[in-house]
Amino acid sequence: MDQEKELIECLQAIPWFQSISEKHFSMIASVAKIVTIDRGEWLFKQGDKQESLYVVIEGRVSVELYSSVRGYLRVFTAEPMDVVGFSSVTPVVRQRTASARAVLDSRLLALDSAGLNRLCEQDHELGYIVMRRLANVAASRVMICRLQLVDLFAHPTGEDENA
Amino acid sequence: MRPEVPVAAIAHQADKLLSPDWAKVVEITPEAEGIATYWLELEDESLRQRYRFAHGQFNMLYIPGYGEAAISISSDPEKPDRIGHTIRFVGNVTRAVSRLKVADQVGLRGPFGTAWPIEQYKGRDVVLSAGGIGLAPLRPVIYEIYNHREDYGKVVILYGARTPKDLLYVNEFPVWEEKDIELMVTVDRADQDWTGQVGVVPMLFYRARFDTNNTVVFSCGPEIMMRFVVFEGLARRIPPEHIYLSLERNMKCGQGMCGHCQMGPFFICKDGPVYCYEELEPYFHLEDL
Repeated sequence: MDQEKELIECLQAIPWFQSISEKHFSMIASVAKIVTIDRGEWLFKQGDKQESLYVVIEGRVSVELYSSVRGYLRVFTAEPMDVVGFSSVTPVVRQRTASARAVLDSRLLALDSAGLNRLCEQDHELGYIVMRRLANVAASRVMICRLQLVDLFAHPTGEDENA
Repeated sequence: MRPEVPVAAIAHQADKLLSPDWAKVVEITPEAEGIATYWLELEDESLRQRYRFAHGQFNMLYIPGYGEAAISISSDPEKPDRIGHTIRFVGNVTRAVSRLKVADQVGLRGPFGTAWPIEQYKGRDVVLSAGGIGLAPLRPVIYEIYNHREDYGKVVILYGARTPKDLLYVNEFPVWEEKDIELMVTVDRADQDWTGQVGVVPMLFYRARFDTNNTVVFSCGPEIMMRFVVFEGLARRIPPEHIYLSLERNMKCGQGMCGHCQMGPFFICKDGPVYCYEELEPYFHLEDL
């Protein structure tokens, strides 16, 4: 399959892009490319320059934080259709705040962050669609982090002491 | 509509409802650190033949000198002569259970409580959402689906635990998957050897595909988790009357008499533990209840 056809098929498979106009679809395609990484390979590391926003097409990618004491801590796993590196399109964050690597052989759609931002500035309707989607991604990640922080399955001492 | 359930089949006489009968430990299956399944057989043969339970009911297990604990039945209702209880060793009674060996005796009262209305949902998609040891009371439902797979539509298990080592029934996962039961597993924390998902159970709803117009959700786990499961289910337009939760409280008598397990107008041991979210909704989000 030639690369352009593969790219279009990948974009069409992503629900996010299924309801946008042809014009916006072409704009998105102009800043998109396909990347593949092997199991265990890093997609990016914390501190790297933010260059791309990714959508997982196939495989599985883990998002990890590094602690000098505990090493890499896996905090989230992105499955097909999940977004990785969403903060790269925010105006403030300049560096990767976490690392990402393939847990399985993976294929991803990479959207050039600067290019996507530029398109969103040029066409605010597209900007609204993109930012609305990213707000949804950010909200779900916050919810996941909160539940992880709560440590749902921890068993506090003293609870059910008579059980 | 609630399914009819066996009511304390052991004790047909009211005055025996509070006195246990004796069962023998016939097998112990370690499941995870601090968790094991105890397989019990009632010693009295006529009781053993009469004993029935429904999906999601519980028994009170009694260890002399330590007391009683309410434990969900985690085995197949179609094989009631061998009753499985998956137990986490957290308190006086369950720690005493952890010291039992095969052939030891344990007191048993039950079964008590309401059941998952699985048989009312034949022909529909089924989502089972469980966290931690919450998979135990759902396992009888998995057996029902496994035994009668053709009666149900798509079946998805969304299961989460703290770490990969805390996952229950991992040896049965391939067997379930062979029967076209989709299994989505996530853990809160994992090391580099884990190739599965890291995240929380409600997140799995984003990834599961089912016919939301024709789906029932059964959930059991920490209440915070179930709140978000309900949230995700309602967000996908699953009606409240098709969402069922199993609650856990401090069950003592199993008769709705002592009040230890009261939540709002309900006694969980008698009116629950399985509730339709529709009837629970006014109370489920209240604090300090």
